[in-house]
Amino acid sequence: MTDVQIRNFSIIAHIDHGKSTLADRLLQATHAVSDREAKAQLLDSMDLERERGITIKASSVTVPHVHKGQQYMLNFIDTPGHVDFSYEVSRALKACEGAILVVDASQGVEAQTVVNAYLAIEQDLEIIPVLNKIDLPAARPDEIAMEVEQALGLPAEDCISVSAKTGQGIPELLDAICERLPSPRKPVTDKTRALIFDAIYDDYRGVIIYIRVFDGVLRVGEKIHMMGLGRTFQITELGKYMPKPVKVKELGPGETGYLVAAIKTLGDVRVGDTITRDLDPADEALEGYAPPNQMVFCDFYPATSDDGKTPDFEEMRDAMDRLALNDASYTYQAVHSEALGFGFRCGFLGLLHMDIIQERLEREGKLSVVQTAPTVSYKVLRRTKGGETELIEVHNPGDLPDPSTILEIREPICRVEVMTPVDKIGEVMKLSLERRGTYKSQTHISETRQLLTFEIPLAELIYDFYDKLKGLTSGYGTMDYEISGYHADNLVKVDILITGEPVEALALIAHKDRAAARGKLLLGRLRKVIDRHNFEIPLQAAIGGKIIARETIKAFRKDVTAKCYGGDVSRKRKLLDKQKKGKEKMKSIGSVNIPQKAFMAVLDSGE
Amino acid sequence: MTNDIAISLPEQRPRQTARRLLADAGESLAPAQGPRSLYIHLPFCAHKCHYCDFYSIVDRQDRQLAFTQRLQRELLAQAPLAAPLESIFVGGGTPTLLAPALWTDLLTTLDRAFDLSPIRSGQGEFSVECNPETATPELFDVLVAGGVNRISIGAQSFNTNHLHTLERRHDPANVARSVELARGAGIGRQSVDLIFAVPGQSLEEWTGDLERAIGLGTEHLSCYALTYEPNTAMTARLERDEFIRADEDLEADMYELTVERLRAQGLDRYEVSNYARPGRECAHNMAYWRQHDWLAAGPSASGHVAGHRWKNTPRLDDYLSIDDEGFAPIIEHEPPDGRRAMRERIMTGIRLREGLEIDVVCAAAERVAPGARRRLETSAAWHKEVGLLIERDRRWVLTDAGFLMGDRVASDLMDALA
Repeated sequence: MTDVQIRNFSIIAHIDHGKSTLADRLLQATHAVSDREAKAQLLDSMDLERERGITIKASSVTVPHVHKGQQYMLNFIDTPGHVDFSYEVSRALKACEGAILVVDASQGVEAQTVVNAYLAIEQDLEIIPVLNKIDLPAARPDEIAMEVEQALGLPAEDCISVSAKTGQGIPELLDAICERLPSPRKPVTDKTRALIFDAIYDDYRGVIIYIRVFDGVLRVGEKIHMMGLGRTFQITELGKYMPKPVKVKELGPGETGYLVAAIKTLGDVRVGDTITRDLDPADEALEGYAPPNQMVFCDFYPATSDDGKTPDFEEMRDAMDRLALNDASYTYQAVHSEALGFGFRCGFLGLLHMDIIQERLEREGKLSVVQTAPTVSYKVLRRTKGGETELIEVHNPGDLPDPSTILEIREPICRVEVMTPVDKIGEVMKLSLERRGTYKSQTHISETRQLLTFEIPLAELIYDFYDKLKGLTSGYGTMDYEISGYHADNLVKVDILITGEPVEALALIAHKDRAAARGKLLLGRLRKVIDRHNFEIPLQAAIGGKIIARETIKAFRKDVTAKCYGGDVSRKRKLLDKQKKGKEKMKSIGSVNIPQKAFMAVLDSGE
Repeated sequence: MTNDIAISLPEQRPRQTARRLLADAGESLAPAQGPRSLYIHLPFCAHKCHYCDFYSIVDRQDRQLAFTQRLQRELLAQAPLAAPLESIFVGGGTPTLLAPALWTDLLTTLDRAFDLSPIRSGQGEFSVECNPETATPELFDVLVAGGVNRISIGAQSFNTNHLHTLERRHDPANVARSVELARGAGIGRQSVDLIFAVPGQSLEEWTGDLERAIGLGTEHLSCYALTYEPNTAMTARLERDEFIRADEDLEADMYELTVERLRAQGLDRYEVSNYARPGRECAHNMAYWRQHDWLAAGPSASGHVAGHRWKNTPRLDDYLSIDDEGFAPIIEHEPPDGRRAMRERIMTGIRLREGLEIDVVCAAAERVAPGARRRLETSAAWHKEVGLLIERDRRWVLTDAGFLMGDRVASDLMDALA
């Protein structure tokens, strides 16, 4: 193998700029797949991914290639296409020396292009900018190449123009991969060290681990040691996806591939961990990555469907367990709410991740779920009884400690990149300021577009920031974000009281200056979805006992049929019998019946 | 507009007629206990109003004769079961669309087949629904000769905008004209129907309608909150957001204003939507609400005899073509059921000013459902506590607030017999 050159690289792009099509075209050009197979996007495997046009799980494909008489082994390491998975993007990049940055030659550089490029630059990767879709009449490769230079500092003349659709420019791109991307670094020790950059669960073989070997060699039959988790397993299979799985006896320095070792659950593997040989272990692990942070949280409860059937909590647990088998990046724990019964508190990498999990629960688990409003992960500095201070993590407003013990509440802050048409800059600025954003910088991209950078609390992004941005830029604005840290702000817990009783499932955390407005908005929505009762129902929003907003649901005044004559008796009687039964289906708090949709009311922030 | 309008009708073909069930009912009645009331449905209309869920077909003169003959056969078949009639009510449709000559035939048959002496003596009541457009002196003379002594005029509103919303096409001035005509013809008792809570109607506009109706000086008024009945054009329009339904509070305000204003005029509420001078309540409707027995003839008419409830087919074609010794095809039949009957008695009885006789109702309920007395008393106590019900002369009677919440109270009391 010594005369074979290895190239490990990822393809990164803004959504819909053609990443997967380009990957397929490259595989086809190296004859790794037939023309027919190339029609399907090989690297994406789940239905949901294909439907949403995004890649959720990274995977790697290895293909042989000959360039100027030299043998090459090209390892494509696929990355998720969305910001929520930037953690996964960065861990995939960790296994690479190079990255192909795909930019749509008519759309130009987008916010996600910028964020992904930064990730690659942080990892010191060699970047090949590629302008895709040059077959389109609207393609402006020269202008877009200038955008790449302006926005990312990559020389315009380095851009390669391709059409993944027609195949134009693909040979030049393959040449660049061989010539411009560096070889893997030389081993620095003779002890074996391989980085786990992904893991998936397979029903038949258990956990399949994706690895990149940096030092030494891994062989089938050897005992391996996970340096972080301290677990030991025996390798039963090593292989590469070419793109069909091909077994190999060993994997050496610079190579990527998969490893099977009778590992039963994803919980036994930590992505980012270093694998070494059990008999002759390395002294030091490779630089790994921090475990993924769940930044967005919400609760899922079994919903009552229209036919009145409430799915079992255990059915939901089974579905959660099954999902966790192939997605180790979300967390879940059983919770009980007075209003909604038994359910799960779940943590996600971001909003899209939350949507995907909810959809998979409903689709694959065939469950109907009630989802509570998403919140972010707060860090609360508080004084303990002993007078010391401690920092605790809170995912749910209901879990906040006694307000008198809270010293400060810190919230996740995002660095947000917004690509906007120049004439909309004012409105984008205004939106960001409304969301407690801080303006950081502005980059000229082209005559018509600017890249704005803000710092905005995640809690302000998770509602409808993206929808609002799309709306005010007529769909042309794009955004992407990365969590940049935690800041303390004047945050308070807003309690929602119904007939004077606080309802934990409706509580929220808000900035003090905006708490009254948020509370008022929520109460207004509750007023619309909670039916009138025989008595007046006061709705209140309160901060630590101080009422900041109130609404009232008036008592029922009229519930009587106007006409009840001889021919109406049977039908009317049946209606009244049915009305009685309908009342029992509601959730009851105190003596107020609260429909499930009331808990969803917190979700919309639209006016 | 010449075809039968049957969009809202069930497609089922009747498989049963009223003959067997009326024979059954007749057997369980002693001769003097026969029904003392009769409802007759005349299905013809000039136009189908958008809020109406009564069975009607747009008038085709060519079927009036066949229909009237068929109706007379049905009346003749049922007559042997009846006691002397104390009330007859002819509803529709638009009964006044029937040609005067056919009215004469119908009234002659009624007189021949039934004992109308209580009505002829003036003690009994014979009401006909009247559309303000179709009242003529000629028709009223025919009606009076046949014993009709009361008309109920469908005014609905005096405001042309609101009439338009309701798809009513009459000239409001015709309401007063009809009242005058009836008086001139010797029809001594008149009632006027009004509808409130029409989309877009203000409290002031409703007050205006009410004052116009009061000005007519009739002994009886029916004021109905607009109801969105399933399968009506009005409900379809509401669902298409063509208009906004009146706010619950406005509707309640209109209702309260009506009760107060009419009470001041000596027109007392004796049922949720009905107001009359003392002794001038509609006897026929009272028979319904007190769960007395009545016979029913004509398409879609519903009857109640000896615990049986039934409904004739609403389809004119079926009504004309199926003739079982004169008895009509039926599409619904509920045989006697003690609990059901008690629930119905509570449901309609609580809507009356006279309310429910506590001892009588509790004893009857306890007979068909052990424990019902205690459950009724518990429910009544709760409704008394929240101010919806009071006890007066050993009767449970709704308060003013209770009348507005009548369905809640009824449904809760009925639950004692579930």
